[in-house]
Amino acid sequence: MFFHMVLERNMQLHPRFFGRSLRENLVSKLMKDVEGTISGRHGFVLAVTGIESIGKGLIRDGTPFVTFPVKYRCVVFRPFEGEVLEAVVTTVMQHGFFAEAGPLQLFVSNHEMQDGMEYQAGDIPNYTSSDASVRIQKDCEVLLKITTVSVVATEIFCLGSIKGKYLGLLNDRA
Amino acid sequence: MSVASDSPVHSSSSDDLAAFLETELDSNSDSSSESFPIEDAAEDDAEVSNHRLKRRKLEHLETVDEDEIEEVASVKFSQEISEASSSKLPCQHPGTFGNMCIVCGQRVEEEETGISFTYIHKGIKFHEDEVTRMRDIDMKMLQSQRKLCLVLDLDHTLLNSTVLRDLRPEEEYLKSLTHSLEDVSGGDLFMLEFMHMMTKLRPFVHSFLKEASKMFVLYIYTMGDRPYARQMAKLLDPKGEYFGERIISRDDGTVRHQKSLDVVLGQEKAVLILDDTENAWPSHKDNLIVIERYHFFASSCKQFDHRFQSLSQLKSDESEPDGALATVLKVLKQTHSLFFEDGGEDLSGRDVRSLLKQVRKEILKGCKVVFSRVFPTKSQAEDHPLWRVAEGLGATCATEVDESVTHVVAMDVGTEKVRWAIREKKFVVHRGWIDAANYLWKKQPEENFGLEQLKKQGAEEKSDDVHEDVLQKSRDACYKARDAFYTCLEKESGKKPTEIASVGLLYPKECSLSRTEFVKSCRSSWVKHFDREYCRNKRVQRLLDDGDERKGPMSLPQPYTFKPSPST
Repeated sequence: MFFHMVLERNMQLHPRFFGRSLRENLVSKLMKDVEGTISGRHGFVLAVTGIESIGKGLIRDGTPFVTFPVKYRCVVFRPFEGEVLEAVVTTVMQHGFFAEAGPLQLFVSNHEMQDGMEYQAGDIPNYTSSDASVRIQKDCEVLLKITTVSVVATEIFCLGSIKGKYLGLLNDRA
Repeated sequence: MSVASDSPVHSSSSDDLAAFLETELDSNSDSSSESFPIEDAAEDDAEVSNHRLKRRKLEHLETVDEDEIEEVASVKFSQEISEASSSKLPCQHPGTFGNMCIVCGQRVEEEETGISFTYIHKGIKFHEDEVTRMRDIDMKMLQSQRKLCLVLDLDHTLLNSTVLRDLRPEEEYLKSLTHSLEDVSGGDLFMLEFMHMMTKLRPFVHSFLKEASKMFVLYIYTMGDRPYARQMAKLLDPKGEYFGERIISRDDGTVRHQKSLDVVLGQEKAVLILDDTENAWPSHKDNLIVIERYHFFASSCKQFDHRFQSLSQLKSDESEPDGALATVLKVLKQTHSLFFEDGGEDLSGRDVRSLLKQVRKEILKGCKVVFSRVFPTKSQAEDHPLWRVAEGLGATCATEVDESVTHVVAMDVGTEKVRWAIREKKFVVHRGWIDAANYLWKKQPEENFGLEQLKKQGAEEKSDDVHEDVLQKSRDACYKARDAFYTCLEKESGKKPTEIASVGLLYPKECSLSRTEFVKSCRSSWVKHFDREYCRNKRVQRLLDDGDERKGPMSLPQPYTFKPSPST
């Protein structure tokens, strides 16, 4: 789920950046540091939309660096258990398939698919339903439900399931 | 365009779940086809056992996921689950994604041994048993397609890359000959500006890959990083038909600086490896076919400390029909046909490693070899790598001459064994004959490896070996020049030093003439040594002279002055 929230971060700035463009330097450093990273609590920080406030800078003892506490608004994306979202299939294996929803990597095990789905090996490995009406292969869009979320050392992995009403294949390589 | 249907609860149609399981476990395909219509053409045991496993795990999964996925099981199904709870198996955690088991979703701790398969996807790890199971399934599929596995190295095997910075001036002509990156088929030389590299594919590589892919499932295993590996795969295989996702880079290997078959999904007895470096595969030497290194660029020759000119400098290239890849392809065809010969169903006994040995032993079959002055006398001759190589090629090796000996391998003309061989009209060759047989997979004509050629090479080498400048005459000249330089320094000690000599020694411009003379007549390492000595002596003297008076930080040594410098 996406959130637009206020986060705080202590930014360290080298004196060479002081001067007229101190604020700009601070903001660009913030964006470089934070955009695209993963926070365990908040999920993927996607984009900084604005700066709420920049506090007073404190000089760190022993170094010339100055620490500014910066409050900024940003868009974050965090997966939740039970959440339903769309993902694109990237790799298909006999154990299941991998999909990605933006920066989030998901895995749907073959146990988490409808009972009729069979793994077909070959040049283009795919999962086909018993009546051949549904075929899930690389670059397909699927609607899946997240079953487990795990944060492992600044990486977020999820397990998903397409076993449910309205879940499964959405689009065929559109 | 369809939306997933309700999970069809097939088993709910049969009243007794246990009975259903019985039928499935007993017969092969017929009973299961009612509820699990199998669409695979290959109806082999692996698929059914896969099913069985899946079915058992499915039941367990249902109970676990009951809390999480409400819509999944209908009420009826859950009743049947509790009925059939006796057939439930605990989850074996065959693999983990992140740290979650891919089957049941539980957190699995890291102490479980698992092999990371990052080339398939980031974060996926499989348990060893699961890997073995996957290999077995793979093996059956390959056997039905009559294919084995072939792991290919990139650098110096299929291609040669160089950083643009390392291009020699005589290689600049190559820049105009590069093929476009838009359509890589048919091209050999590519300029990759964004990686600052130029790559040359080995001659015959396209035909090699085409032929090999008919007999083998191809893997790339390189010591380059992942982006490099993927880029090279795009050059070699633009349609992705040969390698697919099977590109293993050094980021995907389990042990650093070493290659191993643990991340290859093929059984060891059905995998062949093609690499130019034997030491990269410490535990799989039997699967390895060593190929001659492909040095196209000068930087590649330099990397391996070779003094000969690279192919680009000689403006030539390996011959296409006769080159290393063509030879290896023949060997691969031979081994492949041996593996699948007789068309027998039971191929589980065949081992590609022993077949490779068999093919290799044909090369020098019938030759009996005696070595003369090749091995140091103190060591055990049988342990010497050359002995081992010769035996691997099928020759019998002996330490003493007798009637059955056919070849004498020597490095020197004057030995007794060589004289005996000439008397008895036996072949006399140098060790290159054995090495050539090893790389070219064919017995070479002995005339090309006679000792006269060795002598010719040796004569050239000898003049290199004796360095002129350490002889007495040149040493004396060097010492004279050195003394002249240093006396000049002492003489001009009053002048300000402006020129830099070496290792911190400075000297005034007046002495530059003697300096050039000094540098010319002595080796650079000697010059450095003498300068260092001089500085050291000067410092010691200065300390002795005015050690008491010096206070405060010392300035940089000024070895040319004897006058006590004022303390700063």
